[in-house]
Amino acid sequence: MLQEIREEVLEVVRAVFPIILIIVILEVGVLRAAPSDLLLFLLGSGMVVLGIALFLSGVKGGLLPIGDAIGSELPARGSLALVIAGTFFFGLLTIIAEPNIRILAGMLDTASGGGIPSGSLILVIAASVGFIVTVGVLRIIYGFPLAYLFAAGYGIVLLLAPFTPPDLLAVAVDAGGVTTGLLVIPVILALGTGVSSVLAGRSPLTDGFGLVGLAALGPVIGVMLVGVIYP
Amino acid sequence: MIVAPLFEGINQVFLEVAQALLPLLIFFGVFQVLFLKLPRVYVINLVRGILVAALGMALFLQGVNVAFLPAGRAIGEAVTAYGHLWLLIPFGFLLGFLTTYAEPAVRVLGYQVAESSSGYIKESLIVYTLSIAVAISVALGMARLVYGIPLLYIIIPGYLLVIVLLFFTDRDFVGIAFDSGGVATGPMAVTFLLSLAVGVAAGIEGRNPVTDGFGLIALIALAPILSVLVLGILYRRTRGEEA
Repeated sequence: MLQEIREEVLEVVRAVFPIILIIVILEVGVLRAAPSDLLLFLLGSGMVVLGIALFLSGVKGGLLPIGDAIGSELPARGSLALVIAGTFFFGLLTIIAEPNIRILAGMLDTASGGGIPSGSLILVIAASVGFIVTVGVLRIIYGFPLAYLFAAGYGIVLLLAPFTPPDLLAVAVDAGGVTTGLLVIPVILALGTGVSSVLAGRSPLTDGFGLVGLAALGPVIGVMLVGVIYP
Repeated sequence: MIVAPLFEGINQVFLEVAQALLPLLIFFGVFQVLFLKLPRVYVINLVRGILVAALGMALFLQGVNVAFLPAGRAIGEAVTAYGHLWLLIPFGFLLGFLTTYAEPAVRVLGYQVAESSSGYIKESLIVYTLSIAVAISVALGMARLVYGIPLLYIIIPGYLLVIVLLFFTDRDFVGIAFDSGGVATGPMAVTFLLSLAVGVAAGIEGRNPVTDGFGLIALIALAPILSVLVLGILYRRTRGEEA
């Protein structure tokens, strides 16, 4: 486990190093930040790096096997209702656990001064992802083309966008990208490959793809719908 | 003296982590008892993994709260106070390029595309294409912020283009293209770039931090989708129509 965490740390450092460097240059050059502020930033960045590394290795050791187990157990039971209910709740709860969503909610509270209730927003996003991931899993089972699903989904987004209030529009389209974060990507991929590998004739490589993209599309539609219905 | 601000609000963060992970744990518990019935040693390992993940999530959120969010906002506000707002556009380009180029998930994606095209599309081509595409997106997002372009004017043509390209691209590329939208919107983009944008929007007279500050992540997510769809079209062309 320690070896694994060390490798994760190196990978995370590589990924965040350019940003940290730029921020340090700006803090020193533009903001003329006090040494104590700079130290606080660097220590905080260290926490971020260590946090991501621990989180990812924890996800690999704990949450991924759960996604895989549930993904392969569901279709094997042969009950469609169970597949639908199981995938929906699993998708929903994964979103509630996604760190990125917490950050979006916090930022929204600060930016809107509490004008947009972030708690209910999280639930809307979670329910939309649960719903659309269920549709995606049903697609893998019945094997209809992914392109139609995405064309329909983005078509709906285009229809809803002009009627969505501007502040919710910006939040809605961002919610898609925010959803697919540190936790959701690996867990949803595991769910997809789990389902694909159980079903004969489905290749985990090509049929497992697409679920993350759907997970990113769901909240856009969900938040827009809320904005159109309750302006 | 540096320790106190570093752990400010940590109780709140622990509460949030518990709120985030407990529902999933309970769901798994129910599933385990009813259907999975995994062996005990295996379950203990899973729980240990979840505890490590919880600790990691707490550190990550706390670090973001004390380091990245204030830095993004402060830099955003400083730039607006300095004048020369157009500087944000090349700055956005640079940030977009560097974050994508350094992102490990982008390399994994490059590998997947190389596999799907049986080596016709090289991994390095994907990495550069995506980095430049995201760079352009972030620059565009900054331009939108600086000149107050409504989000709809960018989002509608972008999503329309997605639908059009969908019908011309290679089938095997569709899933990868949409999945790749999530690849570029990593934790750095979400934390630092979004708070920078909100900071800039808060600093410019007549801009709304919510309406104008948000929207950047959507543009970043759109770039890889469009790029991979286009690569799929190129691949389909050279391979020749078989159907």
